[in-house]
Amino acid sequence: MVMADEEENGVSIQLEFPKGRVKKIMALDKDVKRVSSEALFLVSRSTELFLQFLAEKSAQVAIEKKRKTVNLEHIRVAVKRHQPTRDFLLDELPPPSQAAKPDKPTQPAGRPKLDPAPRGTRCIDQFFRKPEPENTAQAPGQPPENPAQAQSPENPDQDQAQSPVPVDES
Amino acid sequence: MGDNIGKVLDREGFKYNFTASASGTSAQDGVIKEQDRLLPIANVGRIMKQILPPNAKISKEAKETMQESVSEFISFVTGEASDKCHKEKRKTVNGDDICWALATLGFDDYSEPLKRYLYKYREMEGERANQNKGSNGYENNIANI
Repeated sequence: MVMADEEENGVSIQLEFPKGRVKKIMALDKDVKRVSSEALFLVSRSTELFLQFLAEKSAQVAIEKKRKTVNLEHIRVAVKRHQPTRDFLLDELPPPSQAAKPDKPTQPAGRPKLDPAPRGTRCIDQFFRKPEPENTAQAPGQPPENPAQAQSPENPDQDQAQSPVPVDES
Repeated sequence: MGDNIGKVLDREGFKYNFTASASGTSAQDGVIKEQDRLLPIANVGRIMKQILPPNAKISKEAKETMQESVSEFISFVTGEASDKCHKEKRKTVNGDDICWALATLGFDDYSEPLKRYLYKYREMEGERANQNKGSNGYENNIANI
């Protein structure tokens, strides 16, 4: 769409934003009665320049923080660094969330490693673990003949956990 | 899905609860529609991608914030230019008012590239006007809002 002579000069009058939408945003100010097509063109073009500027500065912040994804916090820092932008935009940005994640996690993700429990302490995991049958020679598909034999001696409480709940048929 | 069309987008932190006053922008329930007060997010994302390094990514939240920010920028500049027109008892905001507003608000860096764009724009408009004269057409250069 851009003409050849425009490309040579490095100047294109092709706008990135739809004129109608820009005009509607300008019209939100009820004091604005009429807008010349030149004014509309300049507002559209300056908006593009502003967006490019803010994107560039936000990307710089992301690089400084060794991040590949530009996020809201990077935009906030970029806005703070440029006085004219800060004057009108800083108060309009969404407030930083209280539970905002830090840029670098303080500890690796996953379950935290706890100190080993003292000897003789029963772990809750054992309660939920399936008992292993003592008779290893048995066929893998068959259940043990006496389930009580498969009970680990150190967990007598498991009898209650394993036994089925009686169903009242009446 | 369709229920949200006329509702105000209440993204946290942005004060956009405009009641429709300007002609042509009013929704049926007296509230500005989201698509009337924000520039298309696809265009915003495309411009950002052109600027960022090739391996960089943009979060959805960042795109939406940029979308809100550019709308705020338009309102900010337009408001300043409109105030100037009001003081000078003029009804039409023109290109010079926009340039003046940008300089006043601290965006003087934009004045040079904008002058070049404006020069090119006037050239193109002049050519169009000549073509229209040949076909007995007349293009009104003022956009009524």
